[in-house]
Amino acid sequence: MTAPLLETHDLVKDYVIGGEVLHAVNSVSLTIKRGEFVAIMGASGSGKSTFMNMIGCLDVPTSGTLLLDGIDTKTLDSDALAEIRNRKIGFVFQQFNLLARTSALDNVAVPLIYAGLGYSERRARAQAKLEAMGLGNRLQNTPAKLSGGQQQRVAIARALVTNPLMLLADEPTGALDTQTSLDIMGIFQKLNDEGITLIVVTHEPDIAEYAARRIVFRDGQVIEDAAVKSRRRAVAG
Amino acid sequence: MTNLFNAVAGWGVNIAIAMTALRTNLMRSILTTLGVMIGVFSVILAVAVGNGAQVSVTQQIATLGSNMAIVVPQPDSGSGPPRSTDRGRLTERDGQAILRQVSGVSAVAPQIRSSVQLVTPGRSATTQATGATPEYGVVSNITASEGRFITEGDVGAAARVVVIGQTVADKLFADANPVGETVRINRVPFKVIGLLESKGSNLGNDNDDQIVVPITTLRQRLLTTATQGPDDVTLLFVGFIDEESLLMGQQEIKRMLRDRYRVPKGRISPFTVRTTTEIAETTGQVTQIFQAVLVAIASISLLVGGIGIMNIMLVSVTERTREIGLRMALGAKRSDIRNQFLVEAAVLCVIGGAIGLTLALVAAAIFQKVADFPAPVGLDTALLSVAFSAIIGILFGGYPAIRASRLSPIEALRSE
Repeated sequence: MTAPLLETHDLVKDYVIGGEVLHAVNSVSLTIKRGEFVAIMGASGSGKSTFMNMIGCLDVPTSGTLLLDGIDTKTLDSDALAEIRNRKIGFVFQQFNLLARTSALDNVAVPLIYAGLGYSERRARAQAKLEAMGLGNRLQNTPAKLSGGQQQRVAIARALVTNPLMLLADEPTGALDTQTSLDIMGIFQKLNDEGITLIVVTHEPDIAEYAARRIVFRDGQVIEDAAVKSRRRAVAG
Repeated sequence: MTNLFNAVAGWGVNIAIAMTALRTNLMRSILTTLGVMIGVFSVILAVAVGNGAQVSVTQQIATLGSNMAIVVPQPDSGSGPPRSTDRGRLTERDGQAILRQVSGVSAVAPQIRSSVQLVTPGRSATTQATGATPEYGVVSNITASEGRFITEGDVGAAARVVVIGQTVADKLFADANPVGETVRINRVPFKVIGLLESKGSNLGNDNDDQIVVPITTLRQRLLTTATQGPDDVTLLFVGFIDEESLLMGQQEIKRMLRDRYRVPKGRISPFTVRTTTEIAETTGQVTQIFQAVLVAIASISLLVGGIGIMNIMLVSVTERTREIGLRMALGAKRSDIRNQFLVEAAVLCVIGGAIGLTLALVAAAIFQKVADFPAPVGLDTALLSVAFSAIIGILFGGYPAIRASRLSPIEALRSE
């Protein structure tokens, strides 16, 4: 269990734009252990999102190695990558990305469809996660009938429903007000206390202070990687 | 077993997703379905009408009488039109010779056909008169439903008696019983002795619009143009005891007539001998071509419906690119995405197919009632058409579905 959850060696992602090669991520090597709470920071265009997409198996590196839970992702085909996204990674997005006109319960159950679970088990598990997020009385609400904070909590429930090893959150508070952002960070801290690895991409320095470790990107490279000194604690809402 | 269950449940999920997506764009879904609906509707109706034509032809052949050969004094022109200049002669003596010399012949019915005018007080009708002998009734399976058919005595005496068809009876006597009444045929008074058993109509050809008189009477009193000889006939019906002797007899009659009329070798015989089997085959082929053409035309509308499906599925994939990206992020494999859109297209098509089938059944029933034309829609046609529309969906939904499944997760997620 001491093997690192995530290991990258000279990870590179190039984009060719107008005949010029752009190194979006330029030789990044780092290790993230189980149970860590990492904030990835950087200005827009720094490569933090590209890095995030690669460790989330949504994008493939141009070169370098990415070991996820000890597995070299280079060796995996698109089906195997889909399975890793399903079983080991939970995604939380800035715009929540819930299916419109679909109840909270059904939204949370979507990953379980692709995990191959039967109808009743999908519903039971999705309901349990929503209840844990304090949304037990909003099961049948569609996204349009939920506040931003509630929608993000539905999205977190969806990310957690397959019991993944890590949660990847891309600007999870970007669309929320200050108080709701605090609530979400509180939820993240509580989940982290329960043992889930959390990687949060943000450009807000105060949001990053809720994490335990901060990695700063600039021009595709890591320029800072250190523990957060004065870590903030939020009370889970 | 659980694997199978999961597979079935997986498709169930896809159907649920498809239904949600289709309901979201209800108007668009209905319009798209309309294309397939019209396609399936026209294909089924085309098949039904084609089947109906075939049924009609079969009935027509049955009314002619089975195991029968028809001898006509004109050269076999294949499928082309007969040339009147080549018309030869055929006599009652030829018929008697056929009955005597050809084995397996049960009866020979010589006939003279002529168009005649019938008049009763206040009414008139034009119809086809067949001058015949009692054998005509035996060979072509015609009986009198009321009164009697013509007899040897009628023929021998050249009696002015007539057996009339139902349609002629309706025209001349309305609802009254015609048997025993008098009718003037080409101004000659005849006594109606019987009513022909109704044989209905096939393909607009009314089998009851005819009358039968003794051949001798027709020759002596009704024929307007003089024949070449005293016992010339228009044609002969030759009845055989079974199908085997019919096939043998056909060739034998041809040979015999060549000999009797001393047709030199190498010259085309001025006689055509057709069997009812041949006629059934030829007309069967014609109706099959007729059906094929109908179905081909109808298939074009189904094709257009399929293209409509493909079009709307491409729009749907483009609109839902972000959803596809999200599903991939949540663990959907390429095959999951592909199946989702395939099922959506198939559901559209099957719904369209089912509605089209229902409408076709109703239309076929109305057609049958109004046009008095059989248009049977079999269970096989019904199942086939629904299966066919599902295949159309999978075929035309296939390209958009595969395109959706090939999307890169991250690019799909980023799209607006």
